[in-house]
Amino acid sequence: MSRDRQEIVRALSPARTLAIAPQRWRAECERHARDGWRFCGLFAGAARQPRVSCILARGGRELVLRAEVPSGSIETIVDLFEAAGFDEREAHDAYGIHFDGHEPLRPLLEHPSDPAAWTVPVQGHDPHQVAVGPIHAGVIESGHFRFTVVGERILNLDLRLFYKHRGLQAAAQGRPLAEGLSYAQRACAACAVTNTVTYAQACESALALAPDAHLRRARTLLLELERLYNHLGDISAICAGVGFAPGSMAFAALKERAQRLNRRLTGHRFLFGTVGLACSELRIGHVDARAARHELRSLGDEVRALWRELRFAASLQDRLGGVGRLSRDDALRLGAVGPSARASGIQRDARRESPRLTYAAFTPVSPAKPGGDVAARLDVRGLELEQTLALLDELLDGNLTSGGVKRLSGPQSEIGVGRVESPRGETVCAVQHCKGTVVRFHLRTGSYTNWPAVAHAARENLLPDFPLINKSFELCYACADR
Amino acid sequence: MSLQNAIAGIVQIAGGVLLSPAIVGLIQHTKARMQGRPGPSIRQPYRELARLWGKSTVTPQPHTVIYLLAPAVSAASALMALALLPTAGHALDLGLGHDALVLVGLLALGRFALALAAWDTGSGFSLMGAGRELMFSAFVEGLLLLVLLLLALPLGSTDLVSMSHAASLSWVSLRPAHWAAALAFGLLILAETGRRPLDNPDTHLELTMVHEGPLLEYAGRDLAYLQWAAAARHWIVLVLGCELVIPHPGPFVAQLAVLAGGLVTLSLALAACETMQAKMRVLRVPLLLGFGSALCVLGLASWFAGGAG
Repeated sequence: MSRDRQEIVRALSPARTLAIAPQRWRAECERHARDGWRFCGLFAGAARQPRVSCILARGGRELVLRAEVPSGSIETIVDLFEAAGFDEREAHDAYGIHFDGHEPLRPLLEHPSDPAAWTVPVQGHDPHQVAVGPIHAGVIESGHFRFTVVGERILNLDLRLFYKHRGLQAAAQGRPLAEGLSYAQRACAACAVTNTVTYAQACESALALAPDAHLRRARTLLLELERLYNHLGDISAICAGVGFAPGSMAFAALKERAQRLNRRLTGHRFLFGTVGLACSELRIGHVDARAARHELRSLGDEVRALWRELRFAASLQDRLGGVGRLSRDDALRLGAVGPSARASGIQRDARRESPRLTYAAFTPVSPAKPGGDVAARLDVRGLELEQTLALLDELLDGNLTSGGVKRLSGPQSEIGVGRVESPRGETVCAVQHCKGTVVRFHLRTGSYTNWPAVAHAARENLLPDFPLINKSFELCYACADR
Repeated sequence: MSLQNAIAGIVQIAGGVLLSPAIVGLIQHTKARMQGRPGPSIRQPYRELARLWGKSTVTPQPHTVIYLLAPAVSAASALMALALLPTAGHALDLGLGHDALVLVGLLALGRFALALAAWDTGSGFSLMGAGRELMFSAFVEGLLLLVLLLLALPLGSTDLVSMSHAASLSWVSLRPAHWAAALAFGLLILAETGRRPLDNPDTHLELTMVHEGPLLEYAGRDLAYLQWAAAARHWIVLVLGCELVIPHPGPFVAQLAVLAGGLVTLSLALAACETMQAKMRVLRVPLLLGFGSALCVLGLASWFAGGAG
């Protein structure tokens, strides 16, 4: 076996699981944090007794730390990994696990009527609260924002999400693994491919299966098609956020073109039902592939022309610089992912560490001015569009046939982890199975990870700039709520 | 009462009441075309007014008479303002006079009534919009006074009829002061009609609203009054632009033609400006309006440096 081959086999082997005694939980997490492991999610479960699991990643490897919590109470790790804030609050609300030291442990899923129960108290001269949502004047998903402001200046923003909590993860329990795929897909329409691919990878890694070249190519193609129409839509949304109609209309029209291409290639505008577990039924003939390639090239020309127009639209550019700044340190601390993290100068992209997909020699984009503001986030999307168009051009070279999996020599494991870059950032999925049925499935999407960063970036900005800041992250509500 | 005065009165009152929604419709339609959409028909604002007129009204609780009166006060002040407007150096004499300062007051009254209503209900978005509107108006009203003062200089009167007459004199349009006022008036049109880059009438983002904010609480007939008043404001400032700023020499009929052409041209210009511009950061608006004031001061200086003409 060559060295490269060994490398691949090692990368494809399932995530390691470490069972830890509850009293060692915090110490073990601390040790791994010191060793350079990055926090990728924490979830609770209850089989015979409550337990918590923490997903960590380093390089292309994943590690699951898990501890039984017989007493229902365990030490917090939120001070080690600030990104675990939402996760611990969710685990508390859903499974009643108490995290010692996480004070105050504010509700996240639960929606108490008293604002003091879930908002951060702000003291000072004359601050007042402005409540927005969950019902908005436009067609926007349900989310409630509570701003504490002085005049037009935002001092603090508290988020209340989970209006769209459908209990998908619990509903999938006890179902066959292949059926769980549709639960992952229903989490959110705009990230349907990412969520299903992540779920499928988690299952395949637990079952010690490796995708063949056709399957890898099909999934990469679908992921990039998803990124294409999402990024086009996001640029349109940023323009709409400042009322720049020519930009928002033109990019919305391009998004429509991309979605029509989706339908021609896969039969669905949002690419639903295209991802299978351990297989891919997606077939694209020579003629269709060439036509799609042609369409994408003409789309690309239009994107570049419009992008130039945006750069020279002074009234638009004037609104973007310095607004909604997320510093590099804050992005690291809050564990931000995706275009938002790259806009803050963090070269983090799960596509770099995706041996189960065909991203050979992938380099994440870095904007010219990674200031972490709205301008940088827009810039990253423009650069990534170029990258995605180039990737799609490569992936559509020749026909695409159905794909499958190969069995790896290693043993199967109880828990599998999948990690895929969605248009909004790294999405992580952990699947625990028992003889082919789902025992516990946990989906932590890029949107879920980035919501705290939105709240942080909004601080010290003007209230009327918030829609723009929010649109520059353009996170989903549904796939955070699940 | 001469025939021309009667015609002037009919143009302003009947035209203002009936045609002002068409101006808004024309702007919306042109804007949509410029953005590559088919867009709504020019008649759309009429359809909307008719729809709202037939709907019942819902009122927020609690509210007082201030909230209930605001639509009537707003619409009535717009109607009064229409009666003051001159047409080609003529106007119907209803015993109200035609003083420019009264017009400024009437525009302010409409705004004030709506702002008070926002405070009355205490709704967050209404208050936010009203607060911004009042902040802008502190600068808008000052600028409006300066511009009117500058335009009143040639004949030394703030009577709108004589100011309209002044704009038809050829020597007035040769003075730099007149064009300084014209530029500043362009900014005023944007501010008074609530359009980009100062405000965005199409937005659904509550947090960014200025003029739309206080309207959120209203429904049915009340909202119809307020929407008509907003359309009438378009008519008022555009007519002022045509009558006081755009030179219109010649006989009465020719001046009427200039008014009609001017209204359409200014509407199209507004649509083009809205299409090309993003909305500016809210705290930069005073700066832009301050720029208008500086232009006026320059105009004043040039007037007095140039002697009495």
